[in-house]
Amino acid sequence: MKVVKTVFLLALLTACGSGKNADEQAMLNSIDSTAGKGPHISEGVIDDLLQEIPSPLEISVLLKQSGKKYNVDYLNSADNIARYNNNFQKAMNLGIYGTDLGYTNIYEKNTDGIKYMSSIKGLADDLNIGQFFDLETISRLATNSKNLDSLLLITTQNFNNINHYFQTQNRSNLSVLLLTGGWLEAMHITCSVAATDPKNQELNEKIGEQKIILEKILKLLSFYKDTDSHMASLLTDLQGLEEVYKKVNITYTYKESSFVVVDGVMVIKDNSTTTVDITPEIVAEIKNISSSIRNKIIS
Amino acid sequence: MKKLILFVATIFLLNASDAVGQCNSENLSSQCIPKLAAGFNFLKSYKIDGDGGNKDKVEYSYVFLKGTSYMINICAPSQPTDGIVVSLFDSNRNKVISSKLNDQFISAIQYPCNATGVYYIQYTFEKPSSYCGGSALGFKR
Repeated sequence: MKVVKTVFLLALLTACGSGKNADEQAMLNSIDSTAGKGPHISEGVIDDLLQEIPSPLEISVLLKQSGKKYNVDYLNSADNIARYNNNFQKAMNLGIYGTDLGYTNIYEKNTDGIKYMSSIKGLADDLNIGQFFDLETISRLATNSKNLDSLLLITTQNFNNINHYFQTQNRSNLSVLLLTGGWLEAMHITCSVAATDPKNQELNEKIGEQKIILEKILKLLSFYKDTDSHMASLLTDLQGLEEVYKKVNITYTYKESSFVVVDGVMVIKDNSTTTVDITPEIVAEIKNISSSIRNKIIS
Repeated sequence: MKKLILFVATIFLLNASDAVGQCNSENLSSQCIPKLAAGFNFLKSYKIDGDGGNKDKVEYSYVFLKGTSYMINICAPSQPTDGIVVSLFDSNRNKVISSKLNDQFISAIQYPCNATGVYYIQYTFEKPSSYCGGSALGFKR
């Protein structure tokens, strides 16, 4: 009887103390071998840098609002999913497809969006994060343009949840790849649009401003260069892009802001400014290098 | 047997008391998402957990882009912000704004960004009842 009681107590304590069920544990066991080969830097530092990277959705909204037409040829074909065999390719292309999905959503191209959602779900399943995508709900939302806000919200939340999950599972390397892929695709789309309108100063400046994001990404990748050969190679490629960006100057001028309160919201008037010195020639160089890196990843 | 029952009961009671005192900042940050003003697309939700007063501030950072308008709101167990103040600092740590206006706590700020760069979103507490809250960040062009 004593043995039964002891076993019961141990089982109870184990159940109380562990947040993981058998399925979760099995999933964790199946995580790729790169987990655990982390960098010699605290996860907190990596997480702080990761959360600074802006959403590629902001660029898609800019393109649509500036009157640029939708062009599916800018995007990575959803059918390319079969090419991606290792976790590096899967995580990078999950980020790329995430940006493509955001672009199709913003332009309300639902048929294309569903194709991307399906490929995203496939890659997510392979990376054991398929639980974050409810394909049925998202497909249903995508069939009606009145659901655009909900669709954008759900997809943004899904990607935020994945990043959070990777970080809690000590798989921040995959978060870095996801965000790098997403950023690279946004760069590719923006540069492709800018190439059709080389004198568009707003777009050129937007590309120039990406110098700030590139610096963050390079820093993130540098943490893994000694432990992950794929990430080291990507870092080297992006350092080529950094060389071109050295020609871009961003000048920041601080001036105290003012504000008014409107309907309970404090609306700030920002008196600080940034100016970006960039020429169409530099934009063309950035396009060539970033698209070449992106093409290597999607091939 | 009595000792065993007492031991198990104690564990359950300790867990229950922990749960009561916990800050459910995740739930509060989720509540903040639909409270973003119309036209703003959701970007991030932030947990504001002051660890019962052991932390005097909670800070996040994000790259804001020139030409984009951002909204940051605060949700707390008691209205409007339970003493939680959000302050925005630029990359050089110059203060851009604070949501405390005289003795008034404003629950949302809108920042039409004119200078691209890293910004620090800092939450502090002024005589709060719980040191617990949530926040959401949205954008519109």
